[in-house]
Amino acid sequence: MIIQIVSVFAVVAVFSLLLEVPRHFVPYSALVGTAAWGIYLLIANNGGSSLEAAFLSTLMVALLSHILARLKKAPVTVFLVSGILPAVPGAAIYRCVYYLIQDEMGLSMSYLVETLQIAGAIAMAIFIMDSLFRLFLLYQSRRLRDKS
Amino acid sequence: MEERVLLEAVMRAGEIMLVSGAEVSRVEDTMNRMLAKSGYQSTEAIVLATGIFVSLDDPEREPLTLVKRIPLRSTNINRIYRVNDVSRRFCSGCLSVQEMRTELEQIAKETQYSPLMKAVGFIGVSACFTPVFGGGFYDFFGALAVGICLALADRLMKWIRLNDFCVNAFCAFMVALTANILQGMVPGYLNAEVMTISAIMTLVPGVTFTTAVRDMLNGDYGAGSARMLEAVVVALAVAVGVGCGLLFYRMF
Repeated sequence: MIIQIVSVFAVVAVFSLLLEVPRHFVPYSALVGTAAWGIYLLIANNGGSSLEAAFLSTLMVALLSHILARLKKAPVTVFLVSGILPAVPGAAIYRCVYYLIQDEMGLSMSYLVETLQIAGAIAMAIFIMDSLFRLFLLYQSRRLRDKS
Repeated sequence: MEERVLLEAVMRAGEIMLVSGAEVSRVEDTMNRMLAKSGYQSTEAIVLATGIFVSLDDPEREPLTLVKRIPLRSTNINRIYRVNDVSRRFCSGCLSVQEMRTELEQIAKETQYSPLMKAVGFIGVSACFTPVFGGGFYDFFGALAVGICLALADRLMKWIRLNDFCVNAFCAFMVALTANILQGMVPGYLNAEVMTISAIMTLVPGVTFTTAVRDMLNGDYGAGSARMLEAVVVALAVAVGVGCGLLFYRMF
């Protein structure tokens, strides 16, 4: 468990190199990714499906990215895209192809569906958090206008 | 001629952001903020997935319009961040148009990490992901070797300059092939599945997908669907590459 957390931190930090994340933001994006994976493990180890785990961990990534973006005055993308990496369904894509070649159509299809479901869950999570923050900003600007 | 310089600088800023993989609404927003400084009555920036249009119009002056086609795309978060920063400073009046232009040219040229660091990125991701997917102590080093192979394949493909599909398919092919060869060489210690999955995580289009989703939420369905399609094509390429690698290994 601890090895997993440490390795996810390392993964997201090195992945940031490939995306050219600004140097001083690399630790933050790695932390975002690690927090997300912590949530993922928590849910997966307590009997949650990989779908629920992917959804909630992405929700966490999006929440942290929005907060950090506001604090550090940087675009949300900086933290969002690298933090999302651990939730991406690479394993499901691989297994889908693997079973296709093994001629096990049923298993292959179930992994294909899983891939699409996880992709959908990630999309939904980003949608929801973006919308919430937009509402929050709207509320804030309205309150500022009322004051003045 | 001040307006012209501003227009060109704004176009350059938009171009850098779009090429670096920023969301369309962010590019339009940044450009519009900068254009508002021109003093023209109506200013417009339209950003598509493959091109940018900027126009300045005023009843008393001749309208100015620039159009640019953007054929490239990649991911470079540093450039998005830097351009965002420059536009923020320009709009608050800390930068002149000329200063902004020189700074934008500088941003377009510089890369933060050398090719060697990029290779470290590929190798590090594939090696460090193994514990996450349940790999053991030996898998870590196996995936390290697979990652080196992946980094080399990526360099080769960048050098040949093929399209996205071929690049990703070839990289995935190399990954699956080397992972299986390694497993065949040291049976019992290495797990090809773990090594392959860890290494293809760098190829799977999570970043494009994320940006596509955010574009769609902002109502930019054109750019959103273009990016979504890109993600699908890359995912298919990875699948095809892995499949070919597995089949190829099985044949020999």
